[in-house]
Amino acid sequence: MKQTLPLIIVFAFGFFVIIAFFIPLGAFQSASQTFETWYTGVLAFFVFIGIFNIVKVNANKIQRRLSDWQYSIILLLFLILMMGAGFIGGPEGGLFNYLFEHMQIPLGATMFSLLAFFVASAAFRAFRARTPEATLLLIAAVIVMIGRVPIGYYIWRGFPGVVEWIMNVPNTAAKRGILFGADLGLISMALRVLLGIERSYMGRGGE
Amino acid sequence: MSRRVVMTATMWLLTTRRIWLSFFMLLIFLVLANQVELKAYDTPNDDGSSITLNWPEDTLYNNYTIFRAVDPEGEFEKVGEIADRTSYVDTNVAGGQDYYYQIEAHGADVAQSSGVVGPVRAVSHIFNTSRINIAVCIIVLFAAIIYYIRRARRGEALYIRKIPGITAMEEAIGRATEMGKPVLYVPGIMDIDEPETIASMSILGRVAEKTAEYGTPLYVPTSKAMVMSMAQQVVKEAAIRVGRPDWFNIDNVRYLTDDQFGYVSAVDGIMVREKPATNFYLGKFYAESLILAETGFSTGAIQIAGTALPDQLPFFVAACDYTLIGEELYAASAYLSQEPVQLGSLKGQDVGKLIFVIVVILGVLDRIIGFDVMYNLFSTAQQ
Amino acid sequence: MNILDRISSIDRRIIFLLVALAVIIPLLIPLGLPVDVSKPVRDVYDMVDSLPERAIVVVSCDYDPGSEAELTPATVAILEHCFRKNLRVYLMGLWPPGPELGNLALEAVAPKYERVYGVDYINIGYRPGGPVMLVSLGRDVADLVRADYAGVPIDSFPLGRAVKSARDIDLVVTLSAGDPGVLHWIIYFSARYGTRIAAATTAIMAPQQYPYLSSGQLVGLLGGLKGAAEYETLVETTGRATAGMDSQSIVHLLLVIFIIMGNIILLYEKRRR
Repeated sequence: MKQTLPLIIVFAFGFFVIIAFFIPLGAFQSASQTFETWYTGVLAFFVFIGIFNIVKVNANKIQRRLSDWQYSIILLLFLILMMGAGFIGGPEGGLFNYLFEHMQIPLGATMFSLLAFFVASAAFRAFRARTPEATLLLIAAVIVMIGRVPIGYYIWRGFPGVVEWIMNVPNTAAKRGILFGADLGLISMALRVLLGIERSYMGRGGE
Repeated sequence: MSRRVVMTATMWLLTTRRIWLSFFMLLIFLVLANQVELKAYDTPNDDGSSITLNWPEDTLYNNYTIFRAVDPEGEFEKVGEIADRTSYVDTNVAGGQDYYYQIEAHGADVAQSSGVVGPVRAVSHIFNTSRINIAVCIIVLFAAIIYYIRRARRGEALYIRKIPGITAMEEAIGRATEMGKPVLYVPGIMDIDEPETIASMSILGRVAEKTAEYGTPLYVPTSKAMVMSMAQQVVKEAAIRVGRPDWFNIDNVRYLTDDQFGYVSAVDGIMVREKPATNFYLGKFYAESLILAETGFSTGAIQIAGTALPDQLPFFVAACDYTLIGEELYAASAYLSQEPVQLGSLKGQDVGKLIFVIVVILGVLDRIIGFDVMYNLFSTAQQ
Repeated sequence: MNILDRISSIDRRIIFLLVALAVIIPLLIPLGLPVDVSKPVRDVYDMVDSLPERAIVVVSCDYDPGSEAELTPATVAILEHCFRKNLRVYLMGLWPPGPELGNLALEAVAPKYERVYGVDYINIGYRPGGPVMLVSLGRDVADLVRADYAGVPIDSFPLGRAVKSARDIDLVVTLSAGDPGVLHWIIYFSARYGTRIAAATTAIMAPQQYPYLSSGQLVGLLGGLKGAAEYETLVETTGRATAGMDSQSIVHLLLVIFIIMGNIILLYEKRRR
């Protein structure tokens, strides 16, 4: 029973939502909407599980003095600070807003801007004309990189036009190809999941 | 003389009559031309909760007031106002009730009413006919997959091409074991409702079996609490399956944060401190793909990535040793299982793909020639 | 040791230092390179420009601080255009921090045109639930949105009362950094309710949007900081995006130089073998 009940739930709800997509009757629509709302409800509950896990793992680390346990103290302190600021002042409260604007925004932007550096080191290492295909890719990349910024326009007025063509024609064609394959793969996987053939995501192996 | 007078008079009369006639005709024409031609009908493919009105565009008018009555002779009440559009959907209707509509068009200094149209009633439809094409595609694909699953069940051997990224997985886990270092598994940053995350959980089950067998530590940091719960279950069951329940450490499968870059910095921290020998990035990734993969590269790990999002593929291809592209991610778990039934579904999917490619080619030809049969068949009506 | 060998085994940190200089120097000493306007950006501009006065534009801030640098300039430029054209702005977000960031942009632009909160613009805050929420939003706004971001009942604002369903919305502009975002607006909102969608995305996501541009599912696209700079050019303001263009130009040039150097090393190594 423990094995089959989840599979029955997946099968019944999955096929119901697929069928409801084709049937505009009110009852079907509201039922399928209700199932989707349940998901949102369950999702909200998991916020607590997440917080509980953070506290548990880090408290354990501090207690047992595992390596780098000092970082866990900082993490828990800020967790309490941010939550406290939110509870006391609300999301529009002064301290919460201050922390958001002056800590979270710059920290997020810092991580994101690492990309600029990593793109450079990855480009230096990986963009090499080892095969004819790689050479083609390389040339296209250089044209798009230069043509995308004002300096390209400054060097040659025709650059942006060439870039638009590359983006609109070869790029779109390749992307569509990958998306097509991926979406078919997705449908095939969905069917495996719905029919209970694929169950390793539930922790069950094949028998 | 008199005859001449009579003739002239008759001619005059005829001419004036013609003028009058023309004048009246012109007047009627103008009124008719100016009258707003209103159409009202039951909204197709809905649940019987609305009636759609539309009328031709006229540059004279830009504001319209919509009136409705249950009796053509009765009082019309205002149900809505709309600007710069030539259609209106009345959603405040009762099923089975007949309605009559009239609209009033207003321009800069003109106003004009339409005739009364009706009766119209909102009907509930059982099948959304505008989605027949989607239904057909799904049925064709499902049929192809189920056909090959059945063939596989009968014990037929099916050839599936080798996917280098997947075959390298076991070797990569073996390397971590030899080096005595952990394996890091990043299941993307999205929640469990994303298909990539489900695919990732399936692969995690196989990876966990191998790592448990070898006794290598497996870290699974997640960005969503629900993914964490699922991953804990998957890893635990895998450990039990291979007879190593003691190997499972629940704290190794943990939640970090929902925040995208907060998560990235935490995972980068794990890489720099623990120096895992093998990194898996399988699931849905965004801007963090390259930040993770470059950090992993700098720590000297073997890296296997896979995602269905074309945007992030170039970054993974550039910085990782193996990359599963799009459908390969979805196929990985089936491929790793080597169960005939699962492999059959991959074969069916490929046949479905072949059918779709043929349809695309036919569609392109159809559009070039101008038949537009396929085009009309596949253009979904917008509601 | 040969110079090429030395470059080949270059420390990553030297590359990082060069990139940092290429970003910082043009910010301090601007070159003032002219910004050309691409068609997808002009299409967004033309669409906004063609809307009648008082039309309602949903501006959905579907990003977080990580993409703030790239998407806030686009938000500001779009708001600038909307307020100048006397359009009404209905701001929201599919990502929790989005509306907070959108609010900062609103506070910067609205006073310039003396626009009033609740009448000319409103912020309904973060809307959780992604696809499911978008479907319900299009069907019945009043049922889903009861209060604005600060918790004030939505009925107390004229603009809050004006938006009942997708039909009252003339255009949606999504400032999108991932999921949920532009794709969800297309699939779950535009395809269902026929509302026009324009997008501003991070540069990384921009190539992915081209199939939707050519199919007409997207009205137009502002790709990355460059897209925002183009929009700034069209609305004739010089914001953060235009200021960043010189840096971006030089960094791209530097990347091309890195790639060329990488390939010279490859040729050299091949020959030596």
